Amino acid sequence: MYSEDHGTLKKMIHIENISKDLGEFFLRDVTLDIKEGEYFVILGPTGAGKTILLESIAGIYRPDSGKILLDNSDITDVPPWERNIGMVYQDYTLFPFLTVAENIGFGLKSRKIGKGETRRKVDELANLLGVSHLSHRYPATLSGGEQQKVAIARAIAIEPRVLRLAPPLSALDSRTRDYLREELKRVKEEFGITMVHVTHDQTEALVLADRIAVMMQGRIMQVGTPNEIFNKPLNNDLADFVGVENIWGGIVRNNENGIVAIEVETGDTIFAVSEYQDGAVKVFLRPEEIILSEHKEDSSARNAIKGRINELQDIGPLTHIKLDVGLIAHITKQSRESIGLQKGNEVYAMFKETSVHVVRE
Amino acid sequence: MLNELKVSKIKIITILSSLLLAFFILVLITCVVTHTTLPALMTSLASKEIQFAIKLSLTTAAISTFLCIVISIPAAYALARYDFFGKSLINTLMDVPLALPPLVAGVGLLILFGTTSFGKGLAEMGLVFVFTPLGIIIAQFFVNVPFMFRILRGTFQGINPRYEHVAETLGCTEAQAFWRVTLPMSKNGLMAGSVITWSKGIGEFGAALMVAGATRMKTETLPISLYLNMSCGELNLAIASATILIVISLVTLFIFERYGGFARVF
Repeated sequence: MYSEDHGTLKKMIHIENISKDLGEFFLRDVTLDIKEGEYFVILGPTGAGKTILLESIAGIYRPDSGKILLDNSDITDVPPWERNIGMVYQDYTLFPFLTVAENIGFGLKSRKIGKGETRRKVDELANLLGVSHLSHRYPATLSGGEQQKVAIARAIAIEPRVLRLAPPLSALDSRTRDYLREELKRVKEEFGITMVHVTHDQTEALVLADRIAVMMQGRIMQVGTPNEIFNKPLNNDLADFVGVENIWGGIVRNNENGIVAIEVETGDTIFAVSEYQDGAVKVFLRPEEIILSEHKEDSSARNAIKGRINELQDIGPLTHIKLDVGLIAHITKQSRESIGLQKGNEVYAMFKETSVHVVRE
Repeated sequence: MLNELKVSKIKIITILSSLLLAFFILVLITCVVTHTTLPALMTSLASKEIQFAIKLSLTTAAISTFLCIVISIPAAYALARYDFFGKSLINTLMDVPLALPPLVAGVGLLILFGTTSFGKGLAEMGLVFVFTPLGIIIAQFFVNVPFMFRILRGTFQGINPRYEHVAETLGCTEAQAFWRVTLPMSKNGLMAGSVITWSKGIGEFGAALMVAGATRMKTETLPISLYLNMSCGELNLAIASATILIVISLVTLFIFERYGGFARVF
């Protein structure tokens, strides 16, 4: 039986070295394991090949090379209608000439399930997703959130082993999105369906995922838990993509019991947790990990870098602050107001050695 | 002020020319339908010859339209969905009948079905196209199939293949996905294509004349009847045919404008 560090879940989808070239979009040697019952998110910028990967798993495209296994059997050449993998596209793709109820029942009709049974099941799903009052309406008359729910109900109706979602939430307003996030998690729990979700939205990935694969230019760059992906990116590009604003090149000067002192390119010394003894490294620090204070003694953080505030900018609930030493911090508006931060103030940027992530250059 | 005057001048000239053009069309139609009296028109319409022409026109156009649909659906789908060798050449060839004078198309059909061994083989099997109603059908088909083809190709191109993909993940085979999803979504295009092909079929003259000839009460469709009666001075019968053709054109135009909104012919 298969087992690995991340939990004891069974390996369900195994993708081995698949490549596909569709011109503008492509996959290059993608290898990936998705486990039974997992909420797996494929995160990547637009055009990274995320949707082709989903479509290849569904059987819409046959990979040019490599193979795909579902429950240990090779499905590379199995057509989509025999795979039992549900699909929800970002633009919902509800059939415009069918009512909500007919859309939900579409897959049941293909499976030659009787009328009574179909009706019962459609009602049940419509209820579950809260769209039963819309049964007789046509998709064009529904809001984005409602269409989304109908698309999910339609995909679940065939009791798929895997449900694959292309960026479905990004188009919705934030309240509907939050609600649907909960809904997706609930659907996953209730039906025990393995979810594979594609998005470019980091918050979405962070909130939903058990595990995340980051995809760039047709390749899988890193697979890991949300914590690993966001706090321990493997390289510069990944760090940049997941919003690590502070990236320095540096040299390890010494290592005392796993705490390294790194001299970074700005001349400052940064302490971090690492096994490296010497040599060139990259140092990553998320902007949210930084606390700003006027006095050095205010915190137990080991790192304190002095700088002058160059720039203050509101970004949603946070304030983006840039210091003249090149450091970027995100702090809440509340703490900004409580210490009365202004442009030109001299402050200490403080952060723990455990917040700093170090990789070999 | 000066600028305003300038603009107004252009406005007046352009509007006047559009009015002139519309008036010209209206006058033309009115001339035909008012050329005879209503009782005379009714008598002509009830005549055996006109009755025959109406029936022959309706049936031949219906059959040729049906053939256009049957051939165009798969052909247009292939050119809308797949990339293959020779695709652009096929696309260009499909447009040729649109540009070709119908008389030339008719000569080609006459030679193909009348003189080649292919045509003779078909004739031996009982499928005689030369100087028969079958010839009318094949002439209408050849001249009008590009309209159906172009409308359907545009319609299929306008349908996101993701609808078929979703249907396939929901258990449909490719053929079922086409039947249950793509075809219903092409309803307007099919409707518009059928109406225009049918109405152009009814009006088809040049190619049909070449292949099927103009034999009274045998290959006499409405336009052939108009031509025959005009040439031998039976003005009332000719006007009856013309009036029916006008009515059919107007009704077609109305239906096409209504359903053909997103389907492009050209």
